[in-house]
Amino acid sequence: MNRDWLKVGIIWAVLTALGEVAVVTWRMFPEGYTREYEVVDEAYILLMVLAVPVFMFMITMLTYSVIKFGSREQPTEDGPPMHGSNRVIVAWLVITSALTVGILINPGFVGLSDIRGEESSDMVIEVEGQRWSWKVTYDNGIVTTDELIVPVHTRIRFDITATDVLHSFWVPAFGTKIDAVPGRTTELYITTERTGTGEEDLNLRVQCAELCGLGHARMAMPVSVVGEAEFDAWVDEWLAAESAAAEEG
Amino acid sequence: MRALIRAVSGGAGGYVIAAFVTSLITGGSVSDGVPVTFGYIFALLGWLHGIGVWNAWAREWFGLPPKPDNAKGWTRYFTFSTDHKVIGSQYLVTFLVVFLVGGLMAMVIRLELAGTGEGFIDADTYNKVMSMHGILMVAVAVAAVLGSFGNYLVPLMIGADDMAFPRINALSFWLIPPVAISLLSAPLLGSFEAGWTAYPPLSVVAAGDGQLLFNMGVITFGLSSILGGLNIITTVATMRAPGMTWGRLPIFVWATFSASLLSLVITQFFAASLVLIHLDRVAGTTFFGAAGGGDALLYEHMFWFYSHPAVYIMVLPGFGVALEVITHFSRKPLFAYKAVVGAFLTIVGLSSLVWAHHMFTSGMAAYLHAPFMVLTEAISVPTGVIFLSAVGTMWRGKLWMQTPMLLAGGWVFNFLIGGITGLFLADVATDVQLHDSYFVVAHFHYTIIGGSIFGLLAAVFFWFPKITGRMYNETMGKIFAVWVSVALALVFIPMFWVGVNGMNRRVNDYQQDLETANNFISWMALLLGLSFVLFAVNLVWSALRGPKAPDNPWGASTLEWQVSSPPPEHNFPLLPEVVGHPYDYGVPDAQHAVVGGSAKSED
Repeated sequence: MNRDWLKVGIIWAVLTALGEVAVVTWRMFPEGYTREYEVVDEAYILLMVLAVPVFMFMITMLTYSVIKFGSREQPTEDGPPMHGSNRVIVAWLVITSALTVGILINPGFVGLSDIRGEESSDMVIEVEGQRWSWKVTYDNGIVTTDELIVPVHTRIRFDITATDVLHSFWVPAFGTKIDAVPGRTTELYITTERTGTGEEDLNLRVQCAELCGLGHARMAMPVSVVGEAEFDAWVDEWLAAESAAAEEG
Repeated sequence: MRALIRAVSGGAGGYVIAAFVTSLITGGSVSDGVPVTFGYIFALLGWLHGIGVWNAWAREWFGLPPKPDNAKGWTRYFTFSTDHKVIGSQYLVTFLVVFLVGGLMAMVIRLELAGTGEGFIDADTYNKVMSMHGILMVAVAVAAVLGSFGNYLVPLMIGADDMAFPRINALSFWLIPPVAISLLSAPLLGSFEAGWTAYPPLSVVAAGDGQLLFNMGVITFGLSSILGGLNIITTVATMRAPGMTWGRLPIFVWATFSASLLSLVITQFFAASLVLIHLDRVAGTTFFGAAGGGDALLYEHMFWFYSHPAVYIMVLPGFGVALEVITHFSRKPLFAYKAVVGAFLTIVGLSSLVWAHHMFTSGMAAYLHAPFMVLTEAISVPTGVIFLSAVGTMWRGKLWMQTPMLLAGGWVFNFLIGGITGLFLADVATDVQLHDSYFVVAHFHYTIIGGSIFGLLAAVFFWFPKITGRMYNETMGKIFAVWVSVALALVFIPMFWVGVNGMNRRVNDYQQDLETANNFISWMALLLGLSFVLFAVNLVWSALRGPKAPDNPWGASTLEWQVSSPPPEHNFPLLPEVVGHPYDYGVPDAQHAVVGGSAKSED
């Protein structure tokens, strides 16, 4: 019967190796634009790497048992009366507990502190969700409702609230989200690292991720991450247009 | 049938009179919140009165002799019958129908999502269908195994003649039809768009009466769950046959007992949170309205304090079925029986301490993240013991690959995917991205279909001969088991991918670049839906025309297989005596119980 264990061990090792190669080479996450996105991606890959041996062990045991010990006919005799020795149970508990502690440390606590980062920012942007649109207010007074433009290589704090029902501020390509709650202001930090526009990448959009009624699916607004010079030019242009409008008015 | 007619007229009359009188008192319209509320309450009372609560039960309270409805034959399924086997069958048929209706809703959802843009239904209809699919399937997962197989089998498996409280048992079933009627009619009255989670402020501000019927229907369903849980706990604690020690209980009994502990203790939190929503809507309170000093996060905490442990009310009975089937069809003792029992009870304890992992992105205090991550991931250790038991029991066994065993294997595979993908949502760093995306949709479908529905399917085939007295068609059963498993993977594996690629959940439209993947998922969902046509044909045809089943077609050791198929009215002609462990396959001269007129029997 030790041959069964040998075969299971070999099949498990091969499947695990193949699985590990697959999860490391085939990156499931599309490209992101922030430091936080990289934290999520790395935590995801690490969990995958740790999950593969466990998954493959169960799959190997299951399929091997069915193929080796299974029959279409009603068995005429019973299997061996194995009730499960304490040694096996304790070993199993030790291994699964150790794995759990392992993933709690990394990516658990490590990821938790990484994704939060420091509570400091170069820029504060207020976001207000209402059915079914977003209103963005920059610290220099600019207000937009049709796009979110942020400079690259900048740490940004979003102060988020809602006026009517729950919404959730999610830019898929930024790798994080937080709910917009009426009566509360929630904070979300991101650090931009790469430029891109919502026209090129549909995941660069502010998407409402908390069910808010009829227009929930379309409560989205494109996001652009632009170079600092381009951002400054956009700010100047906006402020100039505003003062021109004020003079005319 | 007369009882049913009385019940329907009692319910309708109760509604009309109470709503009308209340509207006169309040001076408003009959469709205002208060009249609808009182209408519902009196409809429920009228329904219960008519179905037999008065005749079979309440007359006693006034010193009158009870008049139980002693209908025989198929009409007894439409009466206030106190036979646990009748009640189990009532639950089973009701929830299989609800399951198929919920499945049709899923087909509508996938038809809409087959392409981008607004398809054949508008956003309002989509939200209603999505909310309905959610609450119907949650109800199925909560009650289909526990209510039907729990009621039918627990007394048989422990050697009792019925449940501890037969009339409460009948009451807990007859509360279900009003729930179904109120939930199914809720969308017609508007404001039914907040999903099964019914988060305020959305569930408070939407105009119309649908949300009110939702609240009261779900509260009634909760009452049924609590009464059912109380009954199973009391039955297992007090009705065990001589010799049936706690250490000799079949694992399915332990599973239903553990799930019942949870339903008894936590269900009221969902009910309480819906009462607060109801008051916010009809009585002008502002528990959840920020303008009046309320807080929406309060609801989320109360809601998930029930709804996370509720996942274990759904899956624990499924664990029990899967392990029961695996041990009988492997012809080996259940591996690590005591550790599994310990794991069940640990899960019961831990599961009510993990709720806030649903709220990592809700804006709750950041210091709560770490403790809830720790507690949530800790629950994977007792859950791992269930998997050890499943594969340990199969190892070197004499596996008989009949339909129930194929589905139990599918349970291991699918719940494994559900469990492992749960880690990505318990981990804060990955959850902040994956939360409320399609990754979550894929994950919880794997958890609940894998853990609960595959348990239900395995149970249906395993105990079909016992309940109906006829065999199902084995070939059709095997084709179904393979078909449903493959189709499930083809639907839900791609959903993980679209979630990671930026698709959020509960939407009727999505970004253009995910159209191909969604179109594929929709076709595969059709394939999955069609497998249940085969399932239904097999069951209906076999129940009517299938070959007669022997008492014990599987050669299984537990007590329910030692009586005729279907079991006699009072289960056992003589009180059985339990003399050994339920699963001592391969142990020489082992015996679980002595049934019938043996010399050792004390009756």
